[in-house]
Amino acid sequence: MKSYDVELQDIVKDFDSGGAQIRAVDYVSVQIADGEFFALLGPSGCGKTTTLRLIAGFEQPTEGHILIRGRAMEGIPAYHRPVNTVFQDYALFPHLTVEQNIMFGLQMEGVNKREALKRAQDALEMVRLPDIGKRKPHQLSGGQQQRVALARALVKQPAVLLLDEPLGALDLKLRKSMQYELKALQRDVGITFIYVTHDQEEAITMADRIAVMNEGKMLQVGTPKEIYERPGTHFVADFIGETNFIPATLLKRENDGRGRVRLPDGSEICAALSDDLTTTSGAVTLAIRPERIGLASDVSAESATDRDLDILDAKLVDSQYIGTDTRYTLQIAEGTELVARVQNVDGRNSAAFDIGQTVKIFWHHSSTTVLDH
Amino acid sequence: MSERIRSMRRNGTFLALPTTLWLLVFFVLPLVIVLVVSFMSRGRGGVAIMPLTIGHYQRTFGIFSIILWRSIGLAAMTTVVCLLAGYPLAFFISTRRSRLFQQITLFLVILPFWTNFLIRTYAWRILLGDEGAINGVLISLGLISEPLKMLNTQFAVLVGLVYGFLPFMVLPIYASVERFNFRYVDAAHDLGANDVRAFVRVVLPLTLPGVLAGCALVFIPSVGAFVTPDLLGGTKGLMIGNLINNQFGGSGNMPLGSALSIVMMAVVMLSLVIYLLANRRERGT
Repeated sequence: MKSYDVELQDIVKDFDSGGAQIRAVDYVSVQIADGEFFALLGPSGCGKTTTLRLIAGFEQPTEGHILIRGRAMEGIPAYHRPVNTVFQDYALFPHLTVEQNIMFGLQMEGVNKREALKRAQDALEMVRLPDIGKRKPHQLSGGQQQRVALARALVKQPAVLLLDEPLGALDLKLRKSMQYELKALQRDVGITFIYVTHDQEEAITMADRIAVMNEGKMLQVGTPKEIYERPGTHFVADFIGETNFIPATLLKRENDGRGRVRLPDGSEICAALSDDLTTTSGAVTLAIRPERIGLASDVSAESATDRDLDILDAKLVDSQYIGTDTRYTLQIAEGTELVARVQNVDGRNSAAFDIGQTVKIFWHHSSTTVLDH
Repeated sequence: MSERIRSMRRNGTFLALPTTLWLLVFFVLPLVIVLVVSFMSRGRGGVAIMPLTIGHYQRTFGIFSIILWRSIGLAAMTTVVCLLAGYPLAFFISTRRSRLFQQITLFLVILPFWTNFLIRTYAWRILLGDEGAINGVLISLGLISEPLKMLNTQFAVLVGLVYGFLPFMVLPIYASVERFNFRYVDAAHDLGANDVRAFVRVVLPLTLPGVLAGCALVFIPSVGAFVTPDLLGGTKGLMIGNLINNQFGGSGNMPLGSALSIVMMAVVMLSLVIYLLANRRERGT
């Protein structure tokens, strides 16, 4: 049996809000492996931060069990758990210097001052800020504070590091470079990271696995590729990246994970079924990413007979040049529009098609996902 | 608009002129007079006459030093008791979720100010007296047979001072704790500090400005307290304020009273300096 670093078993967290019960976390179960970079992704208020706080021990679950390294965490206060947190606003103690901040956790363990200072300096070295130990947090930039918060948590050598939107307060460019740095750091130290974010791109770039949450529920757990390519629900498909949703009718489920669906223009195509699909026939939603849609004035006879390709007629409504890509707005039926994104390469650009022209659009079966309506 | 503000800034001196004059005439000048008088001799009826002498200061630090130290001691004890009672109260109030509850409790803290201080202090005479309410209850319960001697003791003065100045401790601490970000407590717990250590290492240092302000606001008026020891202390609880008051009465000694006043002011100034230094250290580099 595989051992997990963190295990959540049917976790429920209710908050009392002026007499009304608010369910922040709704029967969440997940297993996070040792050394994994695990992202909790979702919009604000989806319960991801509450889940993190439950693992940290700042909140107690209303129902369910939390296990860290196989040990049940019931009744174990935050200060006895083998986890450390990097807070969203860093929560560096303003009255202590950077060194004292990092030494704080070690001194609580009873490490003597000299040893604690040495380890604090090593930790600062690790986050590449060796010379700022004597400064106060308010004298540091946001990026520096972020690294100090990281050093303060990692110096304790926790089993699990919890990160609550740690890059949220940084500007875009710094955020990008910190993403790579954090990922590299995680590989180096080999500690399990549980990373809360609302930024889908951040989660996809950094995480080994992503859990998408909404309204307290964990909707889907999987690798970034699984989440992006095989979204289980409308919400996941919509939240991660850009998606076209086409209302469709499911005619028949095949055994190979595909199904025949009818589109609003009356054409019938073959599409991949989502693992979470419960509908057996009738109204469904077809999801397809803009970059998976191809565009041509006409298609060759060879392509036309390719059984894995779906080909439709569409009217070009609008095209928009956005540098790397061109975005085409296409109408496949009255009231049903799609967005296609085609990369601009030599000899191919938006000038190739005229607005109002009828074009052929095509995609591979596996690029579509049939979701519950 | 900025032009107008700039001209107002330039004219700032003139704007401050009335107040400056007022303070010069009614504060600095009398202070200088008191200082001069404190070095003069006592004439008939307690008035100040020449020649100059340092005798009043010798007496202040001589036979009256016991009263000076008692005043400082009682004020210090008042400050400590107010702090021990006020911090938990202020902490409790400022950590309540309901804003309304906070406002009501703060209102209750300052409610006594609506009644005259003199009257409230008289009420303590009724409570603390030999035939008073407290002794009455204790005797009727059979806990004591003889009334406890409480009125006209230093204990009574302490009770009165704590009662009178507690709000001055609660309000600044409330403001400090109210501003305190409890995320720091999460962070302390996260790093392995239990509740006690989180309080000592994080909460207390970060709310210290409120504590220091409260201590200054309680200690300073307590040192010079006059009504409370007068009504509750009798001769045993006499403080420097009463002594000064006596010197300016019928058979008084104005130069001695002036010397006592100057010394008391020095004590207050010293405590203010300590407060400012502590505050500055707290703010850090």
